[in-house]
Amino acid sequence: MATQTMTMAKALNEGLRAAMEKNKKVLIMGEDVGKLGGVFRITDGLQKDFGEDRVIDAPLAESAIVGTAVGLAIRGYRTVCEIQFDGFVYPAFDQIVSQVAKLRKRSDGVYTMGLVIRIPFQGGIGAIEHHSESPEAYFAHTAGLRVVSCSTPNDAYWMIQQSIEHDDPIIFCEPKSRYWEKGEVNLDQPPNGLFDAVVRREGTDVTVVGYGSTVKTALRAADTAAQEGLSLEVIDARSLAPLDLETMAASLTKTGRLVVVQEAPHTASVGSEIVAALSERCFYSLRAPGVRVSGYHVPYPPTRIEEDYRPSVDRVLDAVDRVMGFDS
Amino acid sequence: MSEQVFLLPDVGEGLVEAEIVAWKVNVGDVVTLNQPLVDIETAKATVELPSPYAGTVVTLHGNVGDVMEVHKPLITFEVGGVASSATTVAADAPPISTPSVEKREAVLVGYGVTNEEGVATRTRRRQGTSARVIPPTSSAPVAATAPRSTPPVRLYAKQHGLDIATLTGTGRDGLVTRHDVDQALSGAPATSPVRVVAVPTGPTSTSRFVGRDLEPWATGPKEERFAVKGVLRSMADAMTQSAFSAPHAAVWMRVDVTRTMELLTSLKGRPALGATKLSPLTIVALAFCDAARHYPGINSSFDAANGEVVVRRRVNLGIAADTPRGLIVPNIKDADQLDLVAMAQAQAVLVEKARAGTTTPNEMIGTTLTITNVGPFGVDAAMPILPPGTGAILAVGRFAKAPWVVDDEVVVRYVTELAMSFDHRQVDGALASRVLAHVARFLEDPAAALLVG
Repeated sequence: MATQTMTMAKALNEGLRAAMEKNKKVLIMGEDVGKLGGVFRITDGLQKDFGEDRVIDAPLAESAIVGTAVGLAIRGYRTVCEIQFDGFVYPAFDQIVSQVAKLRKRSDGVYTMGLVIRIPFQGGIGAIEHHSESPEAYFAHTAGLRVVSCSTPNDAYWMIQQSIEHDDPIIFCEPKSRYWEKGEVNLDQPPNGLFDAVVRREGTDVTVVGYGSTVKTALRAADTAAQEGLSLEVIDARSLAPLDLETMAASLTKTGRLVVVQEAPHTASVGSEIVAALSERCFYSLRAPGVRVSGYHVPYPPTRIEEDYRPSVDRVLDAVDRVMGFDS
Repeated sequence: MSEQVFLLPDVGEGLVEAEIVAWKVNVGDVVTLNQPLVDIETAKATVELPSPYAGTVVTLHGNVGDVMEVHKPLITFEVGGVASSATTVAADAPPISTPSVEKREAVLVGYGVTNEEGVATRTRRRQGTSARVIPPTSSAPVAATAPRSTPPVRLYAKQHGLDIATLTGTGRDGLVTRHDVDQALSGAPATSPVRVVAVPTGPTSTSRFVGRDLEPWATGPKEERFAVKGVLRSMADAMTQSAFSAPHAAVWMRVDVTRTMELLTSLKGRPALGATKLSPLTIVALAFCDAARHYPGINSSFDAANGEVVVRRRVNLGIAADTPRGLIVPNIKDADQLDLVAMAQAQAVLVEKARAGTTTPNEMIGTTLTITNVGPFGVDAAMPILPPGTGAILAVGRFAKAPWVVDDEVVVRYVTELAMSFDHRQVDGALASRVLAHVARFLEDPAAALLVG
């Protein structure tokens, strides 16, 4: 088994490289993805190796980037669109919701929309306005789109490749605050299916579900909770649409308590959907209502107070206390 | 004189590490402010770092080719005169000093990420009362699944000091119900946590239902659904139509059928019968037809649509047949015209065709009277529902030996029970009773009845 330790950013870079080597119809398009290699260096060196025809520097026009990818998808190309920051995806929202999500259905399956829209999402890097948002619910809500998020370098390496190979459009959410964290990447085989949730840590008292950046937050909370005598089971949702409810329900039937951790505000969020769906499935096993630890219902705050907005280990533990308190 | 440590700075756009490409100074060199010190290569570019101090180089903290972490020592200087206010300097020293900002690590874009290494400790007091202690449940034996119950029942149990995990749920799929909590509170043994239930495996053979083999109790699915179609639909439609349109009433009586049994025994094997086999049902059929001849009113139907009652002087005698496909009721046309042998043959043909599934639709319409024979199943009687459009249906129980009073003495006789349902719209109790009594008399003395014809 060939493994290599690398950052998530490097893993994405290697994953993109592998996909481009495997399939000549894989293209990359986005702002500064070519010569600069992307603001986060995810596409670093790819234009040099694959040429300007396959790694395309686009104008600052997200609608055009995604719209062009729609036409390319109809002609059999698989374009990986880079949206530079989460807060810049909205100009492309109409293309994504009105065209990307619907063309396969509209054409009765004649066209597939094999394209990937990479969005560095969530906050935590001390960036300015528009650079730290969590827009995943807009897309998870839209039928015809699939939304996934990686939380480890290994997942990043494989999920980007699995997304590119998939015939449906994938909104690929990358937790930008975890880009520089290193982890082992197995270069031989993918760890899971693209739409599978994964139990990152087994436990018995509370099921904690996170995705993207909050998986590590949940794992750190589990470490602290263990010192306090509580056993948290941490699940990485990985796929936000569709949700792997089977894996989550199996855990919740065991623990009877649910905490979902996300950076997005919790009103009409993916976390809300997880709590609602699992409440339906596991009603008779629940020992407490499902609790969401989320961003607050305000625009993403300035850098200096963003750590008070993002779910912290403290806030996860508070939620754990709440669900433990219902029948203790 | 004092030592100053120059930390590797984030060169402007956020970085975590950089590689030393070339040192431009050596240990012992005296450098001036802004003199180039080193070339470093980052993920973005190669950058020349100028010196923030005037002084003497004491230590170079890395060699060419080393990857240095941002905000870690790069060069230590010895400087003279007034030292700068900090003992360490980084080019991008954060201008604000809240704890969260101090923990940040530089990245490519933004001010940096917060350090999340090591085990976190709570920085806030637990919410709620400080006295509340959360029991460490992980040391206790853990069930494979949480006990299933509804929140109100959990609260109820909690309020009464009961641990719901110790209760045995009696609700659907082991659901712990309010009743279970009550049982536990009253000390009933059914909810003892040490109760061991021996689960019987049940029979392993299949059984028949709606024309199919049902899986055994133990191995079949917990719930099964079958489409209502074919023979099942016919039965369901007919029974529903009849039950909710014809007001049913019934009469019944026990009959001494010893002489019927004797007659059958005496005729058994007679050359005139050939291969035809006689059964008690043959005699019952003859008796029922004979009753109809005497009381034609029983062979009638109620035509609600036309506001008429129809009396027929031909009996199409339906026989309820248990077939592999389910219950069907074919009839013997003009059964009133048949003698003993012909009736026996007609019954044999009817049963054979029903079992083989070759009964034609024509053989199932036009029934006027029906016999259902529940005797073979070992039961005494049944209260049947009329096939739609018929006047009566006669259920025949088993022919079994029983104590019977003859000439004021209790003797052992063959006895059966007859039960007849009738459509009370046109048939009244008096007529039904006469018909049933006629059938009974026939069976009590069939030879005499045949003689009368």
